[in-house]
Amino acid sequence: MSLRRIRAVARKEIHHIFRDRSTLFLVLFTPTLLLLLMAYALTVDLQDIPIAVLDLDRSEASRRFAAQITAGNDLTLYAQVESPAEIEALLVRGEIKAALIIHPNFSADLLALRGIPLQIIIDGTEPESGGFAVQHVGRRAEAFVTESLAGQLQAAGVPPEALQAVDLRVRTWYNPSLKPRNDLIPGLLSMILGFPALSVALTLAHEREHGTMEQLMATPIGRWELLLGKMVPYILVGLINTIVIPLLAMAWFRIPFNGSFPLFFGLSAIFLFAILSMGIIIGVFMRTQAAALALSFLLIFFPGFFLTGIFFPIAAMPEIVRLESLFLPGTHYAIITRGIFLPGIGLDVLWPYAVMLFFLGLVFTGVAALFFRKKLA
Amino acid sequence: MIARIASLVVKEFIHLRRDWWLPAFMLLGGALELLLIGWATSRPITNLPLMVYDQDQSAASRALIVSLENTGTFDLLRQAPNLDAIQAAMERGEINAALVIPPDFSAQILSQGGRPALPVMLNGAESVSARAALQAVEGVAGALNERIVVRRLGIDEEAFRGFTPGLRVWFNENLKESYYTTPAELGLMLEFTVLLFAALSFSRERELGTLEQLLVMPFSSLEIIIGKSIPVILIGFFDFLLMLGMVHFVFDVPVRGSLALLLVLALGYLMVELGKGLVISVVSRTQHQAFLLVMMIGMTDFMFTGYAAPVESMPRAIQLLANLVPAHHWLNILRGVMLKGAGLDVLWPSLLALAVLGVLIGGFSLAFVRRALN
Repeated sequence: MSLRRIRAVARKEIHHIFRDRSTLFLVLFTPTLLLLLMAYALTVDLQDIPIAVLDLDRSEASRRFAAQITAGNDLTLYAQVESPAEIEALLVRGEIKAALIIHPNFSADLLALRGIPLQIIIDGTEPESGGFAVQHVGRRAEAFVTESLAGQLQAAGVPPEALQAVDLRVRTWYNPSLKPRNDLIPGLLSMILGFPALSVALTLAHEREHGTMEQLMATPIGRWELLLGKMVPYILVGLINTIVIPLLAMAWFRIPFNGSFPLFFGLSAIFLFAILSMGIIIGVFMRTQAAALALSFLLIFFPGFFLTGIFFPIAAMPEIVRLESLFLPGTHYAIITRGIFLPGIGLDVLWPYAVMLFFLGLVFTGVAALFFRKKLA
Repeated sequence: MIARIASLVVKEFIHLRRDWWLPAFMLLGGALELLLIGWATSRPITNLPLMVYDQDQSAASRALIVSLENTGTFDLLRQAPNLDAIQAAMERGEINAALVIPPDFSAQILSQGGRPALPVMLNGAESVSARAALQAVEGVAGALNERIVVRRLGIDEEAFRGFTPGLRVWFNENLKESYYTTPAELGLMLEFTVLLFAALSFSRERELGTLEQLLVMPFSSLEIIIGKSIPVILIGFFDFLLMLGMVHFVFDVPVRGSLALLLVLALGYLMVELGKGLVISVVSRTQHQAFLLVMMIGMTDFMFTGYAAPVESMPRAIQLLANLVPAHHWLNILRGVMLKGAGLDVLWPSLLALAVLGVLIGGFSLAFVRRALN
């Protein structure tokens, strides 16, 4: 293997990228655009959930309660309705995500300690907003009960906090306000930084499709040199983004970064090697760009998004998928990025994931090189 | 004209047969991927590793641990010998939550005015799991609280209906995860398949230099466009049928509304996406560019399908933008027909929006592609 020849292949590839300005722009800035997109649209805090209120009690207390529920910007009062049929119509049309029914005798039942005379209806097709509404109403109702009963309890000689016997003290470490953005953005870095893997798959298939692969192989360039040379420009692009993207995330989206940046940079380089090798395998196997593209989506992009534990915890997945996720570089990298960004942990904890990434990279490149020879022979 | 279009369609299918990987992926890839991803993600969040530091070691503390395990959300990793062990495990990401039961826990429960404290630590580095854990812990603590209060205040248990409001879930009575994850995942796969296929149609011929050949043949540009579109629509629609069947038969998601209506609207939606794909196809000089554009547009659209975050919670400007995204309206229709049993009387605003977008995108696409071809 000669460094000079790897460099020659890399230079040729860089030349290809630079020749077309719009490709250059897209390759360089797609990760930044993806970050902006995902941060703005994917990781929002739940708020402004539209609900309807059906007040069957029509008492002073029920009105006060309804007003308290929709105060603030968690829930928005979309409509004050008169009948359950109206709730149904609004839910079917998707105009509200939840509805609150205040039963008749609301205040009487409340004061007689017969429980909370409320019913919540949520839209089960998008239960995230509904669940949020349930939680919100539950908390407000608890506070309302305590408040309403304070006088009565005091008269009976019971302290008002008697209704809140259990003192639940929840503390969230590393992300105190439990902002989804703070852990999803570091998790999504595997999607954002690993993006060039798809480009690598394409450029290899491109040589095949245009018949230039034979020309390349007729030169003294070996297959390892060719594969590594193809990877180099995209590793460079990836490393630039490894600096730019976290800075942007910290400066613009106020994502905390508590770990070591050199460590992050180094481990990101290993991740890039692993994920680009995945692209290389696809590029080696497919004869046309279109097929390489379709396969990259199926093997790199969608699994990287859904199966690496960013949105859905791996612990809850079926055994086979859990096993499969071990072969996705994004799984290990998401642990690394979240660990470095939030608790700020170091190599003493993260080394197994780094080793695993490196191992995956070696295996993928090895398989690619092996099959590359067979395919051309 | 029809004969000429037919010959173009035949030409496209000959291409597809020669490179059989591509149609295989287009036809089956999306459906298989949906099967895998749907299977992995359409389930409740369970087995979150939990650590408990039980300083009380009483019947009450053990009962509490059992009720936490019974929620199904947690998997008791082990008992912690001290607080440092919790800190270390949390830092390593080994656990999602930890619970400390103070030494006076049962004594406080039994006393008349005591307040048993329950410190809970959540791992905020995984916010999705942390929120699931919080919900489970709050449920268990709420139930315990209720039992204590009922006993202390001497509330009549027969008449007592509990301190949590009654809950009913509509359209998804048992709160099955597959009802809300798989339709959005289907939408994603379908959009990417059609967009990708359409985007490659002209960019591929241009890159390989065969577009000129096509243009010098006696076809009008309209015929070329129609000839290119038919295979995309055919494959897209077949793909949709396959995935719909999968969502219905494998993931048990019902089709409560009219299936015929859904199929007609799906065809309409595919045409809109086809229009977008064709525009991408003619603005891209290479397949690489077409791919990067598909990627950007496809991901943008996915953000507005309500998969990860409800559109209502997004910033105002982005909500307005969402109305311009066909996939947003399409998911409304898909969920509406499948889960809510909605008909045209309810869905017409989404349908109208989709139709307007279709006319705009389709008209622009047709004019644009024809000019580019001429």
